[in-house]
Amino acid sequence: MELKKVIKAEKLDEVLNLLAENRERAKVIAGGTDFVIQLREKKIAPEVIIDISDVDELNFIRKSGEFIEIGAATKFTTIKNSGIISDAFKGLKDAAGHVGSPQIRNLGTVGGNICNGSPAADTVPALLALGAVAVVKSKNNTREVPLEEFYLDRGKVKLEPDEILYAVKFLNSKPGQGLGFVKLGLRNALAISSISIAVFVETDNDINCKDVRIGSGALAKFPIREKEVEAFLKGKTLHEDVIEEATEFFGKILEQRLAGRPPVEKDYKPYAIKGVFKEALNKALSVVC
Amino acid sequence: MDFNVIGKSVIRVDGLAKVTGKAIYPQDIYMDNMLFGKTLRSSVPHAYFTLDTSKAEKIEGVVKIFTAKDVPGHNSHGVLFKDHEVLCEKKVRRIGDPIAFVVAVSEKIAAEAIEAIEVKYEEIPAVFDPVEAMKDEIKVHDGKSNIIYHYKLRKGNIEEGFAQSDVIVENVYNTSMVEHAFLQPEAGVSYVEDDGTIVVCAATQYPHFDQLEIAEAMGVPAEKVKVINPAVGGAFGGREDITLQIHLAMAAVYTGRPVKAVYSREESFYAHSKRHPEIIKIKTGANKEGKLLALEAEIIADTGAYASWAINVTRKSGIHVTGPYVIPNVKVDAYAVYTNNPFCGAMRGFGATQVPIATEQQMDILAEKLNISPVEIRLKNAFTKGSQTANGQTLTDSVPLVDCITKAAKAIGMF
Amino acid sequence: MKTISLKVNGKPYTVEVEEDMRLLDLLRDKLGFTGVKEGCAEGECGACSVIMDGNLVTSCLVMAFQADGKEIITIEGLQSEDGTLHPIQQAFLDEGAVQCGFCTPAMVLAAKALLDKNPNPTDEQIKEGISGNLCRCTGYAKIVSAVKKAAEYLNQGGK
Ligand SMILES: Cc1cc2nc3c(=O)[nH]c(=O)nc-3n(C[C@H](O)[C@H](O)[C@H](O)COP(=O)(O)OP(=O)(O)OC[C@H]3O[C@@H](n4cnc5c(N)ncnc54)[C@H](O)[C@@H]3O)c2cc1C
Ligand code: FES
Ligand code: FES
Repeated sequence: MELKKVIKAEKLDEVLNLLAENRERAKVIAGGTDFVIQLREKKIAPEVIIDISDVDELNFIRKSGEFIEIGAATKFTTIKNSGIISDAFKGLKDAAGHVGSPQIRNLGTVGGNICNGSPAADTVPALLALGAVAVVKSKNNTREVPLEEFYLDRGKVKLEPDEILYAVKFLNSKPGQGLGFVKLGLRNALAISSISIAVFVETDNDINCKDVRIGSGALAKFPIREKEVEAFLKGKTLHEDVIEEATEFFGKILEQRLAGRPPVEKDYKPYAIKGVFKEALNKALSVVC
Repeated sequence: MDFNVIGKSVIRVDGLAKVTGKAIYPQDIYMDNMLFGKTLRSSVPHAYFTLDTSKAEKIEGVVKIFTAKDVPGHNSHGVLFKDHEVLCEKKVRRIGDPIAFVVAVSEKIAAEAIEAIEVKYEEIPAVFDPVEAMKDEIKVHDGKSNIIYHYKLRKGNIEEGFAQSDVIVENVYNTSMVEHAFLQPEAGVSYVEDDGTIVVCAATQYPHFDQLEIAEAMGVPAEKVKVINPAVGGAFGGREDITLQIHLAMAAVYTGRPVKAVYSREESFYAHSKRHPEIIKIKTGANKEGKLLALEAEIIADTGAYASWAINVTRKSGIHVTGPYVIPNVKVDAYAVYTNNPFCGAMRGFGATQVPIATEQQMDILAEKLNISPVEIRLKNAFTKGSQTANGQTLTDSVPLVDCITKAAKAIGMF
Repeated sequence: MKTISLKVNGKPYTVEVEEDMRLLDLLRDKLGFTGVKEGCAEGECGACSVIMDGNLVTSCLVMAFQADGKEIITIEGLQSEDGTLHPIQQAFLDEGAVQCGFCTPAMVLAAKALLDKNPNPTDEQIKEGISGNLCRCTGYAKIVSAVKKAAEYLNQGGK
């Protein structure tokens, strides 16, 4: 399709109406940090582009009852510096702070990170570990989907052509909870994740693991929950030897999962995961309050 | 003596223009009535090909599509051997070989025309492994051996040297191909002055030689070509070979209008040379005290599809493979070899960068075997004033290596 | 074509832009701010960085139409009318932080974006502030000292 029309939207209604009208012909752009490259490489060829980056109704971090809600067009820099996200969930801010570079964080949005569907999207493992829910809107409807069910395939999310991701939400932190995030990349800035891990833990006073959720990036077609490792840890006391065992277990799982992948993945990742996972878990434990 | 510059902190002359953004790099030149050029490059490493430009020519806004037959003078260039074609005539030797140059009224139209050119490849076997290439079963350049250079160094008696050695270490090291990635991708503008002088404005490391190469390809005397070198956004050796200079000159002369081309980062990767990857087979012997007695090395430098500076680079590797150490018995054979890989040429160090990876590892391994420190073994063998290198040069001036190693070792607490 | 209005270096512009044009193309090809450089076109090198509404962004990843209503600062906006250099530019000169210069305009802007928000950055913060800008001439040490010196100049009220 030839690009015919570009619209800088100001209101959410406007975006939803335009999508209802144009459906497959239209695509939304937020920060553009994935979009512009795909457009120039002709991987996408919309007829209509709708810019949502300056729609205030999509740009917020707020408390709503027991939940924290983050608008889809919220930029990484805003998340990184948010005073609303608690210290216990600093892992989410860390994840946002690890994206690309200052420039990319000033443009890129959490909604774009999710909807682009990259396996290496850095905020997604953190949101998965938080048990986040995607709030989706269209002209006549609002629906909620657990984020872990939002992915269809690499680069594909469960959105109808007239829908946008409106926000993500997750339960605010409670005493005993913590989130840790660790990214492994070739260098500190501007490096796509080779592995990223986010660990959410809930412990009682004796570091008994009451609950645990692990989100991983770059270890599957899209970011996923690592439920086998979660099951292994749940109910156990998180002594060093238990953590060590869980780490080995995680390595074994990856050996099987990545068996058919090229050497850099199948040989490296099952080994590297051990350090990354341990660090993420320890980070989570260190921020439990 | 009182110097104007030495020992003083001076502000560079081009600094002001650069911090204010006023410095003009070739992509910053915009001229009235300017056309835009874009290069079609081969997508396969070794093939005969035919072109059909008829569809592309019909696109509105396309002014001219240049192919090999449009090169007015010699269809060749190259800093040592004229082994590059300005535009390949019938055979491509690597991915990225230029095969056509489209000139259009805008960059967008030029890009569209590039896609509309039909290229039919008849692929032929290619060789990517330089060791394989040395057998000459697949020739990269017709009628020419792939081995384009053999540097031979012989000093003392290598057999005796190893016979006297108490420890011998032998290994093979592979270094990788490296891209310069200078920050400013290739760009240039060409136009013709009233008296017929062809002006090419491009960021280059070698303007005086570019002038000759442009003149030969254009079939005009050198004084009819003027090369202007505006601000150069990094080079590191990657701008020593011709890239777009001749294409632009041809286009400007044919159309009578200024023609500009700017490479994307991706095209820049295809267009210019790389650092030679080398396979370094090396054997080093020393006595119990850690004195080096013998070194034997075979170096195979993969120069890819074109020679560029392969000979000079490979020679430098052959000389520097001894490291800055006195060794009485040395035998080195260094080869530069054509393959169908990206072509290699100058890059920061020019052959002297690759070999220390091997030489210095050998020193560390020897030290470990002899149970002496890596600092000590280097100090024992280091060049000093008056030392003779393996290729026979006596170092008569300052050779502050021992000082340097000592200071560095002290600074990191190894001494 | 679409008509947009924006401010560049304090001056308002109303321009027609093509739908698929990037902010980078608008600034360079239409408005003549050639101090904005293109090094990669995919957000990796930072040479195209400009300050948009106070934040450093890569102009190769912003569509021109998205810049409607925005305030942009490019390197051309830093030097005073009378030719006095901005203290950051002066610091880059004084510290020898310029080599080929292709990264320089954007480096200076990265320093500005940082120092506008944080007048006394640590070395680590400076390194993070310029982490989205590659200098292939690899003059990073001097660039970091230049940013420190710039902070000094600015804190003394300019040089
Ligand atoms: C140099 C560079 C470095 C990068 N480094 C990292 C990194 O370290 N970690 C990382 O995770 N990512 C990285 N990225 C990728 C990118 O920045 C992120 O994926 C970013 O979150 C994309 O967000 P955006 O707002 O720019 O999305 P856009 O590019 O605007 O959009 C991306 C996709 O999502 C869709 N979309 C956007 N918002 C919505 C919405 N609300 N509803 C429905 N669909 C929507 C768009 O249609 C498009 O298909 C990098 C990118 C670059 C260029
Ligand atoms: S050109 Fe925009 S970041 Fe490189
Ligand atoms: S000075 Fe050349 S890239 Fe920085």
